[in-house]
Amino acid sequence: MNMQAAEARVGSDEIVVSGRNVGKTFAGGSVVALEGANFEIPKGSFISLVGPSGCGKSTLLRLISGLIEPSSGDVTVHGTKVTGPRQDIGMMFQKATLLDWRTAIENVLLPTEMTRKVTKADQKHASDLLKLVGLKDFRFAFPSQLSGGMQQRVALARLLQTGADLLLLDEPFGALDEFTRERLNVELMRIVGEVGATTIFVTHNIAEAIYLADHVYVMTPRPGRIASVVDVPFERPRPLSLQTSLEFNQLVAQVREILGEDH
Amino acid sequence: MAVSDSTLSEGAGGGLSLRQRRILTHAGIFLTLIALWEIGSRAGWLDPLFYPRPSNILRSFWLIYVQNGNVWYHLYATMILVFAGFAAGSILGVGLGALVGFNPLVRRFIKPYVIVLEATPRIAVAPLLIAALGFGAPSKVAIIMLVCFFAPFINTLSGVVNVDEDRLELFRSLGASKWQTLRKLVLPDAVPVIMAGERLALTAALSGALVAEFIQRNEGIGSLILVYTRNLNMASAFACIFTLTILGFLIFRGMEWVDHHVAFWKHEPGLERVGRRRRRKMKEALDE
Ligand SMILES: Nc1ncnc2c1ncn2[C@@H]1O[C@H](COP(=O)(O)OP(=O)(O)OP(=O)(O)O)[C@@H](O)[C@H]1O
Ligand SMILES: [Mg+2]
Repeated sequence: MNMQAAEARVGSDEIVVSGRNVGKTFAGGSVVALEGANFEIPKGSFISLVGPSGCGKSTLLRLISGLIEPSSGDVTVHGTKVTGPRQDIGMMFQKATLLDWRTAIENVLLPTEMTRKVTKADQKHASDLLKLVGLKDFRFAFPSQLSGGMQQRVALARLLQTGADLLLLDEPFGALDEFTRERLNVELMRIVGEVGATTIFVTHNIAEAIYLADHVYVMTPRPGRIASVVDVPFERPRPLSLQTSLEFNQLVAQVREILGEDH
Repeated sequence: MAVSDSTLSEGAGGGLSLRQRRILTHAGIFLTLIALWEIGSRAGWLDPLFYPRPSNILRSFWLIYVQNGNVWYHLYATMILVFAGFAAGSILGVGLGALVGFNPLVRRFIKPYVIVLEATPRIAVAPLLIAALGFGAPSKVAIIMLVCFFAPFINTLSGVVNVDEDRLELFRSLGASKWQTLRKLVLPDAVPVIMAGERLALTAALSGALVAEFIQRNEGIGSLILVYTRNLNMASAFACIFTLTILGFLIFRGMEWVDHHVAFWKHEPGLERVGRRRRRKMKEALDE
């Protein structure tokens, strides 16, 4: 029954991202960061990438974003091969990487400035996004006047301002405390649901990965590869209490088993 | 004892604030020192030839500023020289620093020369500059350029080179062009460290101007000091030196003010103000 709810949400069969035998080596081939990754990600779905440090999560994300090129295979987004950074792909990092000399709203407008002259409508949009992430009263604050969690909210608004419908998040809340992270996770789920974006979310927290995702890609190291995909059947919205349920913990155990000794 | 201390001193201060009392203390110490100097000079403990009495120095101030008014011309000449040399030197420094910073290849080749330049006392080149350019304004400006070029150069270079890797990655992921990355990330990011270089440069420019005037002796506070000293008019020489003290202080304060405005995000107190101004600017678009 739960299964059907998840299916209903993901709904569309349209594939946004696909990878065919994607591999990446560093240091002249001596470091295999990622090997033989095959995946198809449907529109509007939320994917978690989970795995121990060094299993190639960031590498996979950077390959999809076009920041680096694969050593083998290729990545396709919206039907065209990824050859470099693109407007329809947005990326968010563990550090907020805000510009200290810009107010929150000016930071959010940065992606727009790269493509055209900022209009009043753009400013209005940026302002609305800051309201969406709960920073209405801090739109004109500078980064140094914001807490770490608030800075990441600004970074999230900036990500949404790009207008990209494929969002790549590399441990976006990894540097924050437990409470802030949990709250931001819930909000992230709500927001990407609202804008209908396809989301790939990197974490090395198994419970977090399951709680957020429709599908969890479990990755293992040496060489980095996608070991398995675990489907998460719970319907949305998901209460925090879900994490204490039996089914949820069975999924955690299942992922743990795939990761083996490493986790 | 310690507990009653604060109430005691409050009573003794007669209702003065801590700040007012501090100012009074400083003024008291200063006046005592001046008085000691005056007394020592009158009593013959200090050679009045080399340590003119404060009262004489004060009279010299009156003389050179009001009665003769001859200092203004020289003060003006020195200030023009300082700012012309500083502007030329720091524009060259920032420009070259940025150029070298953006070019990894140039950077590698220029490094040994930077080290050589850094190790050489730059003022030593002053006579050569005069030989090449002759007496007059161009060689004076060149001397100041030489002494105040280096700090902006090195600081701009390091500011441009040390851009945060994560932010560069962000700009790459946004598809920023080289020019956009330069204008919106690299240069603004380097502003505080460039400003620190400019502050050093302006102080150096004042010293450079004096050296140039010592050598050329036709105008400026530096040449005036030489003239007064040669005539054993030490009181007026001191008045000139204290004039430079005040000038140096004003320059320092002025640079501080500029720094607080162009690198405002490094100074907590300015943030609120700038934030309010930016809010006002965007108000219309947000119709609030
Ligand atoms: N630019 C690079 N040069 C050389 N080796 C690299 C580079 N980037 C990644 N690697 C290597 O590739 C492997 C995978 O790195 P990656 O950053 O993708 O791991 P990760 O899963 O994101 O780890 P973490 O959880 O610690 O962030 C690691 O062994 C890493 O050392
Ligand atoms: Mg990583």
